Amino acid sequence: MPFYRCVVPKDSVPYEQRAQVAKAFTDVHCGSTGAPRSFVHVAFDETDSAQEPTYFVDGYNRAGRPQELRDQLLADLIGAFREVTGVSSDQVSGRINEGPASWTMEGGMVLPEPGEETAEWYEHDERIESGLAQAAAGG
Amino acid sequence: MSRVSFNCTMQEGQVDDDTRALLADGLRRVAQETLGESTDDVSVRFSDIPNGFGFRGGEPSTTSLVNGRIVGGVTQELREEFMRSIIDMWTATSGCSVNELVVTAADA
Repeated sequence: MPFYRCVVPKDSVPYEQRAQVAKAFTDVHCGSTGAPRSFVHVAFDETDSAQEPTYFVDGYNRAGRPQELRDQLLADLIGAFREVTGVSSDQVSGRINEGPASWTMEGGMVLPEPGEETAEWYEHDERIESGLAQAAAGG
Repeated sequence: MSRVSFNCTMQEGQVDDDTRALLADGLRRVAQETLGESTDDVSVRFSDIPNGFGFRGGEPSTTSLVNGRIVGGVTQELREEFMRSIIDMWTATSGCSVNELVVTAADA
């Protein structure tokens, strides 16, 4: 967690832009919440809609952050999406749903509640990042 | 409607069909052994994120997501035992590392 699913019209966002959006979302989320980078999952879901092209950012985060922060986070994510893709403001919308942190395990560890992250958890996450980097390198 | 359901999302090419069948059996077994559910009351669905469409930390992802929905009211201790059992089964069956797996057990 978090998970950000971008629903986009088919063939409207090429790979380079998807990768840029994923990086931008990671920057935005980590900048707003202090979460580790490997925590942030982004996926793109293409639709065949024949209607006017619309884009949607569908997020799922740990519950417990102030509404003001959540609103700003969503605004910044949509802003980042628009900056990368060039989509106009009337074509993109979004929402962020939330669930209890204690319902999810990532890297074999129950997620802490927002604001209750311990040094041990950040160390654990560093090991995840290191392990993922090794896997990506084939080692 | 099933009492327990799993929606498993994987990166394309990470898990073959034979392994998926083993994972589905394993998920049903875990639900039976930890929650006491009948395997007939467990539904499992797999979907793939196409290559180039899934990212983690801004990089291409190799992570699988197992989103479970269970009957509410269980203790946190049992919920954690359930999730740990899924992780043990999944990593042993698929060969992925624990770092490449996110498991959720949400109240239905």
